[in-house]
Amino acid sequence: MLCTVLRVVTRDLALPEQTSAGQAPVGGQGVDAALEAFGLTGSSTRTRTVVFLVTGDVPQPVHSGFEHVAVRTAESTVLALVLAHAALNGGGKDVALVLAAPDGPGPVRAHRVTLRAVAREDRPAPGTGPSHGPVADSARLLLWSGRRPGDETRTRARLRSVVDRMTDDMFRALPAVVPCGQGAGLVRAAAVCSLEDPAAALDTARAITAGTPRPVALLFPGQGSQHTAMACGLYRHEPVFTEAVDTVLDLMGDEGAAIRADWLTPNGPLIDIDDVRRAQPLLFAVDYALGKLVMSWGIRPTALLGHSAGELVAATFAGVVSLEDAVTMMRERVRHALSVPAGGMLAVAASAAHLRPYLVDEVAIAAVNATLQTMLAGPAAQLSAVEQRLRADGHTVVAVPATSPFHSPAMAPAADAVEREYTRIGLRSPRLALYSGYTGELMSDRDALSPRFWARQITDTVYFRPALDQLLAAEDMLLVEAGPRQTLTAFARRHPAVRSGASAVVPMLPARPGSPAADRRALLGTVARLWTEGHELDAAALSRLWSDGEDRAALLPLLEPGHR
Amino acid sequence: MSASTVTLTDLTRMLRESAGEEEGVDLDGDVLDVSFDELGYDSLAMLQVIGQVQREYGIRLPDETVADADTPRALLALINTSGQVPQTR
Repeated sequence: MLCTVLRVVTRDLALPEQTSAGQAPVGGQGVDAALEAFGLTGSSTRTRTVVFLVTGDVPQPVHSGFEHVAVRTAESTVLALVLAHAALNGGGKDVALVLAAPDGPGPVRAHRVTLRAVAREDRPAPGTGPSHGPVADSARLLLWSGRRPGDETRTRARLRSVVDRMTDDMFRALPAVVPCGQGAGLVRAAAVCSLEDPAAALDTARAITAGTPRPVALLFPGQGSQHTAMACGLYRHEPVFTEAVDTVLDLMGDEGAAIRADWLTPNGPLIDIDDVRRAQPLLFAVDYALGKLVMSWGIRPTALLGHSAGELVAATFAGVVSLEDAVTMMRERVRHALSVPAGGMLAVAASAAHLRPYLVDEVAIAAVNATLQTMLAGPAAQLSAVEQRLRADGHTVVAVPATSPFHSPAMAPAADAVEREYTRIGLRSPRLALYSGYTGELMSDRDALSPRFWARQITDTVYFRPALDQLLAAEDMLLVEAGPRQTLTAFARRHPAVRSGASAVVPMLPARPGSPAADRRALLGTVARLWTEGHELDAAALSRLWSDGEDRAALLPLLEPGHR
Repeated sequence: MSASTVTLTDLTRMLRESAGEEEGVDLDGDVLDVSFDELGYDSLAMLQVIGQVQREYGIRLPDETVADADTPRALLALINTSGQVPQTR
C-alpha cells in the first residue's frame, strides 16, 4: 500500500528590503529569493512549482508577472499548506513554496513543501517503538495570535472554517507545529488538535494577552523519575534531542551503547531501568537533551534547579562543569554507589519534622520535596522496619524505585571515593542562577568549586522545596521541567507561588509512561505554553518536530485517497 | 454513613489538608474537571487524599481509585456511589 509523505523545510529569507510589518507580501523580490534559496532556478523546474503568499487579514491581489511560476494567495499558513497538498497531490506540481511575511521586524519565512510516495512497509508498525520512519501521530499544534483580542478572534474564526473543510488526509499533511498567520502578536492562543476532532481544541483554546513573558527556569528531575522507554518518542524524531542523547551516550563508549540498547528495547532490557546503572545515565541523557531542545527553540533560561542527580545536569548548563566532565562525575557516582550494600528510598506524605522521631541507625531524611512530601533512605532492612512503623501509625508511604540508599549516611564510603575522583575535575563558577538542593539556596562559587560539595551530594539531604522557595521568591518564573514523569511539576503545582498564578510550570513529558506518540503530544503542549506565555519561538526549529534529522525535513505521512 | 454525601467543598478541604497547603491558596475555583495531574496531585498525594476520605467518612474505596479517578468530579462520583461500603465501627 502506498501513502504519501509531506516534507516541509523552513528557511528565513534575507531580503535586501524587508517588507513592512503586517503587509503581506513579499512581492516579486520574496518570490525570487525563495526560489533561489531552494535552488529552483531552471524554467522547467519553475513550471512545476507553485508559490503561495500568506496574505493574512487583508486579501491581496494575485501577483502576476512571474516567469514560469504560478503564484497564488492564501489567508493563513495552515490554509496554504492544505492548498499546497492539493496542488502536489494531483495538481501537476512537484514543489510548493509557502511565503509568510513577519508581523513585525524580522525575516520573511519560506517553507518548501514537497510530497513523496513511500511504500506502506516504510512506515513504522504500531507499537514497535522508536523508528526512523514518518510519524503517524494524530496530534498537530496550531499557534496563532493577534495584535488585539479582535484580531485573535478573527484569526481563530478563519482557522475554524479551514479546519471544518479539512479532510483527514489534509490534517495528516500538516507539520507537527503549524504557525498560523504572519507573526507573533501580543494576544496568543494555541491548540493541540486531534485528528478525530480538530475543532474541539480550537474552540476551547484560551487566548492570553501576553505581556512581558516570565523568564524560564529549567527543572531537572533525579532518580525516581525514570521509567521504561522514557522520552523514547522523541528519540530519532527530533534532531536536537537525538543528537544530545547520542552525545551523552557516546561519551560512555561501549557502556553507552549497552545503555541505549536497554533503553530502546521493547523486549525487556538486560539491566532494569530502576537499576542505578541505567536510571542515572539515562536520566542524565534525557534531562540534558530536553534542556538542549528547549534552548534550540530560542528560549534562554535564566535559572536552573535540579533534584538530586538532576543538579549535575543543571550545573552543566550553568557552565560549572563541561558535559564530558559531568558525564564522568555521574559515572563515578554510579560506580561507587554499586559498592554500597543494597538499600532503598521511601516517599512519605508527611513533613520532615514529623518523620524525625522515626529515624533509626542509618535511615535518614533523603529529600524535602513539598510541604507534606518527604523521602527517607537507608539500608534495606533498617528502612523496611521504619516503613512498617510508619504504616502502623497510619502514614501514607510509597516505595521509590531505587536500589541504592542515596542521601543517607550509608553512602558515606561512596562519597569519600567519589571525592578523590572529583579532585581531577575542572570546576568553574556558575554563569547562570543555579539553585542547589543541598543548601536550598543559590549555589555559591565556593560550593561550585568544591569537589567535596559535589561528592557529598550522594550522602546529604536534598532540600528541593527550600531551593524552589528561593527560586520563586527571586522572580516570577515559568518553570519548565526538562525530564520524564512530571515529578517536579507536581511539587511546583502545589507551591503557593504557582497556585496563586504568580509563577507557572509546564512539563515536557507525560505524567506516566505511555506511547511514543504521547511523548510527542506532551512536547507539543510545552511549545504551546511557551507560545501563550509570549516567548518568541524559532519557527525553523519548531519545523524540525518530528523530522528525523535527515535533511532537517518534517516527514509527515499522508494516506492517499482510496487507499485508507 | 450512607446518608452523608461528600461535596466538592469537603473534597477541596481534604485536598488542601492532604497536601499541607495553607488556606486561601486558590483551590476553590472551577476545579471540578481539572485533572489531578494539573492540580499537582501525584500518586503519593492522591493516596493521602484517599486515605483521608476513607478515615473521615468511614468508607472503603477500591484500590483502583488512584488510577480511575483523574478529576475531582470523577473522585466524588466514586466516593458517592461505589464507595458506599460502610466500615464496621
